[in-house]
Amino acid sequence: MTIKWDNLFLVAGTSIGAALLVVALFAVGVRLLTDARLAEAKAKKGDNAAARVEAISRTLSYIAFSLCGSALLYGIYLIVPAFHLSK
Amino acid sequence: MEPIIIVVAVIALALFFDFTNGFHDTANAMATPIATGALKPRVAVAIAAVMNLAGAFLSTAVAKTISVDLINENVHLGAEMVFAGLTGAILWNLTTWFLGLPSSSSHALFGGLIGSAVAFAGVNAVNFEKVVEKVLIPALFAPVIAGVAALLATRLAFVITARTEAQKKAGQTTGRGIFRVGQIFSSSLVALSHGTNDAQKTMGVITLVLVATGFQANGDHVQIWVVLSAAAAIAFGTYAGGWRIIRTMGSGLAEIKPAQGFAAEISTGVTILASSNLGFALSTTQVASGSVIGSGLGRKGGAVRWNKAGQIVLGWLFTLPASAIVGALSAYLVMAGPVGLFVDGIITLAVVITIFQVSRRNKIGHHNVVSEVEGASKAIASPKSIRAAAKAADAAKKSAERATKTASKKKGGK
Repeated sequence: MTIKWDNLFLVAGTSIGAALLVVALFAVGVRLLTDARLAEAKAKKGDNAAARVEAISRTLSYIAFSLCGSALLYGIYLIVPAFHLSK
Repeated sequence: MEPIIIVVAVIALALFFDFTNGFHDTANAMATPIATGALKPRVAVAIAAVMNLAGAFLSTAVAKTISVDLINENVHLGAEMVFAGLTGAILWNLTTWFLGLPSSSSHALFGGLIGSAVAFAGVNAVNFEKVVEKVLIPALFAPVIAGVAALLATRLAFVITARTEAQKKAGQTTGRGIFRVGQIFSSSLVALSHGTNDAQKTMGVITLVLVATGFQANGDHVQIWVVLSAAAAIAFGTYAGGWRIIRTMGSGLAEIKPAQGFAAEISTGVTILASSNLGFALSTTQVASGSVIGSGLGRKGGAVRWNKAGQIVLGWLFTLPASAIVGALSAYLVMAGPVGLFVDGIITLAVVITIFQVSRRNKIGHHNVVSEVEGASKAIASPKSIRAAAKAADAAKKSAERATKTASKKKGGK
């Protein structure tokens, strides 16, 4: 019997690592976006520091979400064989 | 060349199996977004159906290498043998659906074919080493890997989005509802990957039979009508929605909040993709169930209904042997000749109809898939409450019918 333990551990490691990465990125995005929303309220009252915080948080959160988006695209790439088996 | 009627019967059964596969597995992708309210039940199954349809067309490579290597090469897989195997797979799939248990459709298919092969060609027909390697070991690890991934990911998501008491007082929310948006994408990805894998199995079985009976020269391609019909069958099945299983996975196992749902779906998707690309195939159903349990454990105060989890694991253990037994019994009937085949077909049909009829007594549909979980667990406890639940379900059905009637009247009025 040949159980491919190497492949099994590789699958386990990759799955856990990648799941943590994607979920962490999205969670960071969520966190920054809510931070930005809170700062927005203060910024409207004329708080310049808050306005800066808002801009930075919002930008970073969009970056985090787009990284999640690219993970999604990579997933689709892996699912569709035509993208990587055509060679 | 074998009588065309058998070939037609096998193709019909294979497509019906494909249909049950679809509605059995809708839950893998869509149970959690439905449970958290990220997607409305009917929207969710519609997305899953489209994704499965698309997935079925995207890849036909797997169909050629359908995993019949569980059965030794020297055994001739004839149309009758496949017919008997499919009846085993279908009946077990419907039974587990009726019980609301997420079980692997592929294991049901393998089991049915194995049982049938044993009946036709003896125990030596089965490559038991391969069964351990391809079915047993993956079944042990799939839920564990996905469960650990989902547990850690859920913890992480809650830690990252946590608020201190001071922040809470300042009116800062966790924003965890935003995870619902992510859920739409993550669940769609799971549905897409399901379509690329599962419709292939039906295409593979049909192609196998076409080659075995001389209707197709060799198995190096899948005919377009096979692709079309298999894709349609799985999409239609997915849209029909296995609401019983969706309820088990969405709220029967653990209460799922958006962050958990997202973590569970990402874990499912990532584990499936890793397993199919790194050479260790895992069952989607087992991965998805593991993810739900993991995410249930990951949230503080989140509880997993181990009772239900135990039932599900029991279902997994039985899937292969049970469908093998049905497949074998069915094979003995089929071996008796054309009359036996006919009788077998009639019995299968009768059982299928009976299961559907009985299931209507305690109907679970898009209207009650989320709520009534407590009621369902009570209903199992006593026959009296089963009647009460059935009555309530009837009343709900009637009011739903009334609603659709008035809606259609309104439409007609326009």
